[in-house]
Amino acid sequence: MLTVIVTGLAIGMLYASIALVYNVMFSTSKVLSVTTGHLSMVGGVFGAYIISVLQMHWLWGLLGAVLAGATFGWLTDVLAIRRVLARSDEHLWLLSTLALATMVQQGVGLWWGTEPKPFPRLITQEFGAGLMDQKFWLPIGMAIVMTIGLEFFYRKTMYGKVFIAMSEDAFAARARGVSTDKIRLLSYVLSGALGGLAGFAAGQLTFAFFALGHTLTLLGFIALAVGGLGSNIGALIGGAALGLLNSFASYYFGGEYQQTIAVGLLMVVLLIKPEGLLGAKNVRPV
Amino acid sequence: MPRLIKHAVRLFLATALVVSAASAIAADTIKIGWLSSLTGALSSAAIAENQGVQLAVDEINKSGGILGRQIELLTRDTAGDPTKAVNFAQQLAFSDKVHFVIGPVNSGEGLAAVPILARAGVPNLVIGAIDELIDPVKYPRAFRVINTNRQWISTANDYAIKVLKKSKVAVIADTSGYGTASSKTAIELLEKAGIKPVYTVLVDNNKTDLTDEMNKARAAGADVVMPWTAATGMLGRLLNARGEIGWNVPVVGHPAIMAAQIRQLLNKPEYWQNAYAAGYLSTTYGSDGKLPERTQQLVDKIRPKLGGGEIDVLFWWVAMGYDTVKIIEHAIKTAGSTDAAALQKVLENTRDYKGVYATYTWTATERNGFPDSNMAVNPANTFKDGSFRLAPR
Repeated sequence: MLTVIVTGLAIGMLYASIALVYNVMFSTSKVLSVTTGHLSMVGGVFGAYIISVLQMHWLWGLLGAVLAGATFGWLTDVLAIRRVLARSDEHLWLLSTLALATMVQQGVGLWWGTEPKPFPRLITQEFGAGLMDQKFWLPIGMAIVMTIGLEFFYRKTMYGKVFIAMSEDAFAARARGVSTDKIRLLSYVLSGALGGLAGFAAGQLTFAFFALGHTLTLLGFIALAVGGLGSNIGALIGGAALGLLNSFASYYFGGEYQQTIAVGLLMVVLLIKPEGLLGAKNVRPV
Repeated sequence: MPRLIKHAVRLFLATALVVSAASAIAADTIKIGWLSSLTGALSSAAIAENQGVQLAVDEINKSGGILGRQIELLTRDTAGDPTKAVNFAQQLAFSDKVHFVIGPVNSGEGLAAVPILARAGVPNLVIGAIDELIDPVKYPRAFRVINTNRQWISTANDYAIKVLKKSKVAVIADTSGYGTASSKTAIELLEKAGIKPVYTVLVDNNKTDLTDEMNKARAAGADVVMPWTAATGMLGRLLNARGEIGWNVPVVGHPAIMAAQIRQLLNKPEYWQNAYAAGYLSTTYGSDGKLPERTQQLVDKIRPKLGGGEIDVLFWWVAMGYDTVKIIEHAIKTAGSTDAAALQKVLENTRDYKGVYATYTWTATERNGFPDSNMAVNPANTFKDGSFRLAPR
């Protein structure tokens, strides 16, 4: 039973990390980018490439994963967001980010190969450690560190406060002299770096696999919607709930029901509490 | 003015003559369409098959072609996408008017493309393993070169039951269409042999850990684990879970268990021991350490084209690709023409045609050409130079 909980929690915390990344991007642009899961895929693949293929220390792998993610985040803003938001209020970003995500996935598939490849051990540890294995604890630890870091960033730093200001009211922020385009770009670079970091931490769990992106995008979104859009603690809870539910569903009913139950959870939450467990109700006093 | 018209008429006639002569030359080639997923998922199999196809085409063309006609190979990269496979199948059949089509490579693409080729009446060599691709009534000109999925499963089942003498089977398959269908077939065939699996489960092929499933199989008293999935990630995790919980149960199943990628995914190399997969006699070393003669000849011929060193792809793909073109050569030579109905007749009457990958027989009612006797079981960790050792019997 403990295995079910730990494995569920580990993958759930990866979903939670993806949900956090969604939050960072959403705060400044009100966009739910389809590239979010792909940021992690890119982080995992680049980490594995630098450590296993280039034979460099894992710290370089970590740096490479963060840089690759940040670059992808920057590209997302430049190619798929900036112009779309400037020209239209419609949800065209859904298509532009989907296109970019698909292109990046195909590109990685051509370069890296379409079979999953192993992600190297980061800490010296014997295999056979069972539930103490680093592959479970690294993604869990990373999600918690990311949540605490983001909370600190939002509350204690100037940029964090500007992010919040933009998420409250982008027009008002601009009127106050905030360069909203620059801040949005910054948020995409930051979210890219975080996505890369999450993918790196979970690499041993997921393998370095080009096709992970779309699944992570979907399951990260479910974690976000369950926890509540905009809430970091909510993302953590949503991710954990989704991971555990998936794991228990698979244990008791078999893998064929796993996806149905994940999407079922989303439906139930949307019907009963559309704003998510910890999400703010979308009401503005006028 | 009349001179100008005369001149124009002459020019027109000359052009028409040149065009018709050129098309006469083009019509003189034998056109083979090759629907190959050279990029995208499962590209590794297609790339290897393509090596065999190319070699056979080059060889035949160099030695003067078939009935004096050169082969024109029209390769179309479907990227493993059924929609593209359909478009290319239509293009090959109706615009390019090919005489034969090889492929598509993946069963999903095949389900979409084979009916179109059948409607166009184009002879088609099927290289997908699922049962639905073959139907002598609906697709009278589709002949299967590869073994059937059922042959993989029954070979693995036979090995587990008759050779390893196991009777408490755990069937673990993935939730894809292939995994679900295969697990059903596996259970059905086991039950026919009087064995009811002690544990069966379907698992999402991206599930990050299979320890629970392996623990459950162990608790259910299983003495052999039979995985049915082509996902190397899932198989790697299954073998890792078996190793980590210290359970030395034999694993017997899908050929992907012996794929080279698995080796990299294992936590320890020894986790690959005591694992067996359904394979082929043509790519199995005999007790003298030698490959069958025809396979060895092909290995020697193709090695320079694969880089000259050890062969690092599963050689049966290469052998099958090579055979497809040779089968087409056999059919056209025997029929004496490229008439589709005549080619169908020849293939229907082909008995024991000796290829590299297998010895094929098709009849008017049986379109699966690969014989059971050409199947083999290989220990997963014995890959060497493209082939495997024979599992202990």
